[in-house]
Amino acid sequence: MRRRNSGPFQPLSDGAFRINIAPDVRELLIHLFGELRDVLTQGTSDDPALRRLFPAAYHDNPDYDAEYHELMRGELVASRLTAMSRVVEVLGAGDRLEAGEMDLLLQSLNAVRLLLGTMLDVSEDGPDDGPEDPEDPTAATHHLYSYLGWLLEAAVAAAMSNIPDGGNHEKSR
Amino acid sequence: MGRALTAMETQSYGQNGAVPSTVPSTREEVGLDENTDTTSDSPWVVIVWNDPINLMSYVTLVLRKLFGFSLEKATQLMLDVHHKGRAVVSSGPRERAELDVYRLHEHGLWATMQKDGTDS
Repeated sequence: MRRRNSGPFQPLSDGAFRINIAPDVRELLIHLFGELRDVLTQGTSDDPALRRLFPAAYHDNPDYDAEYHELMRGELVASRLTAMSRVVEVLGAGDRLEAGEMDLLLQSLNAVRLLLGTMLDVSEDGPDDGPEDPEDPTAATHHLYSYLGWLLEAAVAAAMSNIPDGGNHEKSR
Repeated sequence: MGRALTAMETQSYGQNGAVPSTVPSTREEVGLDENTDTTSDSPWVVIVWNDPINLMSYVTLVLRKLFGFSLEKATQLMLDVHHKGRAVVSSGPRERAELDVYRLHEHGLWATMQKDGTDS
């Protein structure tokens, strides 16, 4: 991947990132994080839309898995809420994303995408762009899902460029 | 909802021969109470499974960040996940593996753990 001088997250020389995202898109993201927060805080633990956010840890041992979820689910919820809350602050505050905040942004974008992808029942063989019929009621959600994929890809590329041995250097083999 | 994951799980288990019924179902049977056997010969392995939502680049980045893998190593593991359905990304005592699973879950990856050698 090459370093880009523009794009939604521009790596800065001090390790931070400049956020180039239009106000209406920021509002959309803040809205989505709010929706995920509501699902996490008000939804039931068996909500099928949440299953990718809380996968089994022990797929072959239900007893251990129940223990894991009893111990860790609260932590996972708290971690996601904290990350999203910080990202919402950053998006509302200005154009600078600190180096340490990039991971929170990545986690939060990915969590929203997991929720949407689960709701859309995205599969390996399904078309990336969703239904061809624009009247399909899921078309708008598919579009949003695709957009978040693009945005997350851009965030990953920016984050990679800040890791030593990272994505913006040609790797010689 | 739910078809994709169910189908995927079925497929993964089928491909990899992970038959849940062969695994002891209670902690007494596997002897993993506090004082017994968390440091036995066979460590726990942490597995990342293929899923249709997570981006390949994101999976690579998370593996690098959490485990300090080189770009090359993380990319190879990601490709194993993508093409073979799964990859072992770490191993060790149960507590350590559980922490790794937690951190992977925190980042939205589909990770599980099991005793090494229990499914092959």
